[in-house]
Amino acid sequence: MLSRVAERVYWLARYLERVENTARLINVHTGLLMDLPREAEIDWFTLVSIFDADIFYHASYEQISEQNVMHFLLADTDNPMALIHSLSALRENARTSLDILPEETWEQVNELYLLVKEELSALSNRRRRQNLLLAIMERCQTIWGIFTNHMSRNHAYYFLQSAKHLERADMTSRILEMASLLLKENRSDPVRAFDGLLWTHLLRALSAQQMYTRVNGSNVSAGPVLDYLIRDTAFPRSLFFSLSAIGRYLSPLPKAENLLSVQKQILQKLLQTDHSVIPAEDIHRRMDALQIQLAALDGQISAQWFYPDHSVA
Amino acid sequence: MTHLWRDYDPGAFYDELMVDQHQPRTFSYRLLDHLQSMRNDAFNQRVAESEIEILERGVTFTVYSDAGNIDRAWPFDIIPRILAKREWDCTEKGLIQRIRALNQFIDDIYNDGHIIQDGIIPEDVVMQSKGYRPQCRNMRPAYGVWAHICGSDLVRDDHGTLYVLEDNLRVPSGVAYMLENRKTTKRVLPELFKLLNISPVNDYPSHLAAMLASLRPDLASPNMVLLTPGIYNSAYFEHASLAQQAGLTLLEGADLIVGGDGYVYMKTIHGLEKVDVIYRRIDDDFIDPLAFRDDSTLGIPGIMQAWRDGKVAIANAPGCGVADDKVIYAYVPEMIRYYLNEEPILPNVPTFLCRNPDHLRYVLDNLSELVVKPANESGGYGMLVGPHSSEDKIAEFRNLIINDPNNYIAQPTLKLSVSPTSCGDKIAPRHVDLRPFILSGDSHYVTPGGLTRVALVEGSLIVNSSQGGGSKDTWIVDEALLGGTG
Repeated sequence: MLSRVAERVYWLARYLERVENTARLINVHTGLLMDLPREAEIDWFTLVSIFDADIFYHASYEQISEQNVMHFLLADTDNPMALIHSLSALRENARTSLDILPEETWEQVNELYLLVKEELSALSNRRRRQNLLLAIMERCQTIWGIFTNHMSRNHAYYFLQSAKHLERADMTSRILEMASLLLKENRSDPVRAFDGLLWTHLLRALSAQQMYTRVNGSNVSAGPVLDYLIRDTAFPRSLFFSLSAIGRYLSPLPKAENLLSVQKQILQKLLQTDHSVIPAEDIHRRMDALQIQLAALDGQISAQWFYPDHSVA
Repeated sequence: MTHLWRDYDPGAFYDELMVDQHQPRTFSYRLLDHLQSMRNDAFNQRVAESEIEILERGVTFTVYSDAGNIDRAWPFDIIPRILAKREWDCTEKGLIQRIRALNQFIDDIYNDGHIIQDGIIPEDVVMQSKGYRPQCRNMRPAYGVWAHICGSDLVRDDHGTLYVLEDNLRVPSGVAYMLENRKTTKRVLPELFKLLNISPVNDYPSHLAAMLASLRPDLASPNMVLLTPGIYNSAYFEHASLAQQAGLTLLEGADLIVGGDGYVYMKTIHGLEKVDVIYRRIDDDFIDPLAFRDDSTLGIPGIMQAWRDGKVAIANAPGCGVADDKVIYAYVPEMIRYYLNEEPILPNVPTFLCRNPDHLRYVLDNLSELVVKPANESGGYGMLVGPHSSEDKIAEFRNLIINDPNNYIAQPTLKLSVSPTSCGDKIAPRHVDLRPFILSGDSHYVTPGGLTRVALVEGSLIVNSSQGGGSKDTWIVDEALLGGTG
């Protein structure tokens, strides 16, 4: 497999996962804000913080409003974390990997792109926006379905899957970082009163609510939720699951040994801590650290397979 | 609203589907019967579906003047163009005859030059061709084949005769669009395939792969790649789609490197991997900065030497563009007689060579009646269509020809055939041509039909996709199988 193509496939999967996660997060957050009293500390800007995009936001917008935040996160081509940006990058990577992906991939990606482009003008309409976000998630699932059902388990497939789980772990850690807000000792009474609701929404933002309930019943509170999202071995969006999957899919790739030992270290570090008993600031710090480790892993993948020293034999 | 077909009239032109204003040809009767029985809104609905289909499948073609736009949807007309199988069988033989002669010619002029010594073609005609590459002298590619993929343009005049207008031997494009057109027809007008026996076209990619593999008879399963200039090339969609369907690795120049051992390698996640056959979609000029343009960033330094040493096969072979020249074109019938000792099956369009003083005089006296073409341009650029040109334009060409007669040829303005085409509020006759694709390796293969291009503007003769022409699905239909009413 060509190094350049491997890189494109890898980024295709990261952007595909990012598009879906972004759509889900915004969809769930919108639902949450409908339930919360206005004076709660959680508002539209929380979304911007999850993406670490505060600086970009303030560079372009003066006011924090639903309309501005939605435009920024979905349609703003100057924001590298915006959904339209991820989607364009996804489309360019799909267009340049046509020869190794199932042929329906390009058509699906292209249709998704056309759909979003057409609907972007209607973002301020909450109902149409929510419908669009649902349609985006469905399309993303369709594309993953094509990969799962039509692709040989070859190197391209392993790159797709490693990238998906790396992106997913990153997003999960960002959402857990937001969770640390909910644990703060000095949180206000309105937020305290809505604790249960907030944890439920957190689960929903990761598509975890139903699976969580089957394991833990209706007890939705900080300890078991954190434990589930971090350590559960069966749920495909827990940090444990994603980090293990990265190792599973990297291992068949040529000369993966160094990367696998890095991946193991990250996983061990995560499991050493019992996140359900540590203070909120610690969760925040640890999730930050995890994101940095994931970025380093990404850099090593790139150095190992995309830009190795191809000097002449 | 009047019926879309009501005022259809091909006039004095030969119509591909109609004998006259009212009477369909024997092989197009069922198609037209079906289409004409549709209500306007039902037909327009199908047109709209085809447009959505093409947009969603992302079938695109770049027009260079649209700066930054790499997403122009492929222009497609849903009314197919039909040729009778009987006529096509003969055309196919003619195309193979022609490519055999052309390949022998290229092999000859880079080696012994018999055709020049025997006085059939003057040496300076060969040397003036912009596609002539001295770096290719004394090369003998497998089977003596240089032009492995050829796209010949065929046109029909008002008497119904099919002529070869030109032979595209460098990097002919269009075949993936031919495949897409068929896919679109199948999705939008699926019921038609029940009415008629239409020769399938979708096995082209496997014939392409087999032909490329045959270029390395020394290897059981050669490693084959398609070399593209990249996403900004007008035919990138075609490159990606052919690579996908033929199982070739799609790559760019930067993915390739010539090793110390003189072999060509691609940069993979395993390290370097040897490449045996390259289907290149970049021009000679850009293929190797050591041999040709040293400012080329698309090419691979040292690849020409690897090819000369037989360490990699390249299709089409470097230098094969020598025969893709409008002056040399005029000599193709002579080549067929000289190399094959046969009479040409397909005629050339009568061609005046401005290098010949008698022809030059005739051309200058009749500019307003003729089509004038420079020897080395493609895509319909730099041409004069006399009857459709202003006096200023004609005067401009008069000067160009007088200053450089060797670089120009002229042909009578053919009354190109027309075919019914959907034009918004009506079905109207529009001029068409046809580009079949011919593969040559250890054997020959011709696409059944090819890409029909259509000039969408009323009266226009310019069918080139790069100048806004459209396209049609092309059917080869066996009349013998039409039988009764089915």
